[in-house]
Amino acid sequence: MDQDNNQNKQEVVVSLSDISKTFRDFWLRPTVKAVDRLNLNVKRGEIFGLLGPNGSGKSTTIKMILGLLKPGSGEIRLFGKAPTSAEARAKLGYLPELSYLHPFMTARETLDYYAGLCSLPKKIAKERSNELLEMTGLQEAADRPVGGFSKGMARRVALASSLIGKPELLVLDEPTSGLDPVSTDEVKTLIKTLAKGGMTILMSSHLLADAQDVCSSFMILNHGKTVAEGRVGQINGDLGAFFLSKVGEGRDFKIAPFLCVETVPGGAK
Amino acid sequence: MGCCAVIRAFCSIFLLEFRRFFRSKAFALLIIASTAWMILLPFILKSDGTAEGAREIYMRYSLGGVFALSAIALASSAASSLAREREEKRLQLSMIRPVSLAYLALARIAALVFIGAITLFVSSSILAFKTRGTWRNCWHVLDPVLESASEEAEKEYARYMADPDLPEEIRKSDKAVLIRLLTRHAFERYEAIPPGGKGGWIFDAAKFSSRPLAVRIRFTNDYNIRDDVKGVFSFGSLKGEIDNITQAIAKIPLDKKINREESSSLREGQLDFENLGKNSLMLRPRRDINLLAEADSFAFNLIRANLELIAILASLISLAMFLGAGLGRSVAVFTCITFMFVAVASSDIISECPDPLESDKVDKMSLAITRAVDFVARPINSLRPLAALSLDECVETKEVVKVTIVDILLLPLLFSLLSAFVIAHKEDGV
Repeated sequence: MDQDNNQNKQEVVVSLSDISKTFRDFWLRPTVKAVDRLNLNVKRGEIFGLLGPNGSGKSTTIKMILGLLKPGSGEIRLFGKAPTSAEARAKLGYLPELSYLHPFMTARETLDYYAGLCSLPKKIAKERSNELLEMTGLQEAADRPVGGFSKGMARRVALASSLIGKPELLVLDEPTSGLDPVSTDEVKTLIKTLAKGGMTILMSSHLLADAQDVCSSFMILNHGKTVAEGRVGQINGDLGAFFLSKVGEGRDFKIAPFLCVETVPGGAK
Repeated sequence: MGCCAVIRAFCSIFLLEFRRFFRSKAFALLIIASTAWMILLPFILKSDGTAEGAREIYMRYSLGGVFALSAIALASSAASSLAREREEKRLQLSMIRPVSLAYLALARIAALVFIGAITLFVSSSILAFKTRGTWRNCWHVLDPVLESASEEAEKEYARYMADPDLPEEIRKSDKAVLIRLLTRHAFERYEAIPPGGKGGWIFDAAKFSSRPLAVRIRFTNDYNIRDDVKGVFSFGSLKGEIDNITQAIAKIPLDKKINREESSSLREGQLDFENLGKNSLMLRPRRDINLLAEADSFAFNLIRANLELIAILASLISLAMFLGAGLGRSVAVFTCITFMFVAVASSDIISECPDPLESDKVDKMSLAITRAVDFVARPINSLRPLAALSLDECVETKEVVKVTIVDILLLPLLFSLLSAFVIAHKEDGV
């Protein structure tokens, strides 16, 4: 039994081999190389943090993993299958950075819709919807249109939608964005609990403290290339400081001269 | 994915699109405007003063107006449906589920077609209720068995070319243009039956032999000639008399009671006319004379007409969905509405335009483009089921089945696949 568990833990859920992606304009001329020969393996039950500054290629990488973008070269496998295959997609959940909900639908209808897309039988869909609404504290607002929800409430509906199909791989893009400290803490606890239950989680975040709290492994991207990777526990000290040491090098921030105010008695010049 | 899973996914997307339209102001406006149009039309339409004329106009324009409203509202909605989802990034969340993108488009088309069907059903119910006292059986319409106008044009063209006196300018003209002109000429060719003379046309009415028959004769020529006509139509043992026409279209029932003793001289399958009036009867066999065979009730005809209208709506919605996927929301809505207006106006433009032989290059090019639009948009342009309803013509089941297969099944499937292809490429940043 233990051996089986260990074998499961070693199973690679997400595998990226030498992935590159170059965006092109209408005339197919290359405009930007977003990802450059990226290799990545995420094992079952792992909480993997994809970190990097803006424009480092995190979102492109996530979109390629989700099958929304095709890599220019290299190979992506989810559960050993192509990301666009129905088998892989049946095991996938995704929480985008912004909630992207249908404003005219209620929270319950939104969950029903995604349950339908996952082809869940009606009875199971109803049970799961109720459980998820309870988990996210939305029972009272379940039958109100989500267009009137606050950002935090909308985020919780989106999180519940990503979990309705009981995914084996959950991709989270800035999962705590827009949440208050209490909700942030709840989401972090939820992520850890889901991972303990065997769910694999791949998350990108700008909030390095959050990433340090929940992630077991990480990869830092800059200009589409890997600049560091490893286990969070192996870092001596703060992940934030480590991050800055890797991607802050060579960056020289200068304040525009006209913004430098010379202070003189009697006020600014 | 099993069959149940596929149906469940389809229903979810269908419901999403239905709710989107149902909860928008567009749905309320569409229903209110359609109902108001159906109720108020009799008060605002102007007919030729006869009850028949009023009925004909009401039949044509009541459902015609509702169809136009539905087409504009639903095509606009279809054009913005997938496009808006994509622009607002919601589509990504559906695309990562185990459902094909073509399926997402197809279920949305189905939902909008369903809304169109509801609107037409409500309007048809009002139409049926308001005209309940004037319900009449509809009629199968048979054309004379003649060689086609284009075949006749080909023969005429060969004869022209063999004529040594043909002007060189015409001999050098484009064959396609000449054939088109000769086809039109053949279609409009008049036949004259002098006083005391007889004319005859063959009709293939074998399968309708047990039904009541009638002759329909039109006088809607370019000069609106409605001279007094007097004579007897004979079809086998059946006869019908016509005298002093005042209507543009006259329907003469064929009855066994009149002049039964003369019937032996008439051939089965040939409709004969004996002109007993003082003037020659001028008519175009390909346009002006039909044999009618009684079909079924108005209610069944209304159902068939509705099915055909729904099919036309489905083809429009599918096209709009594809345009939305490819061009983006605002451009697609604009293109769709422009297409519909051009479709409606194209046949008038073509008939009013100068003859291609006499016009310059720009005119010829514009006319060619308009002809192409007319060819593509002919089902929308002609709205054949509405014309049939207004003239008590039977909307043929065979035609309904054909249109249903093409417009409700094949076209939505094709445009869904194309939409999926375009969106997948757009998402990929190509």
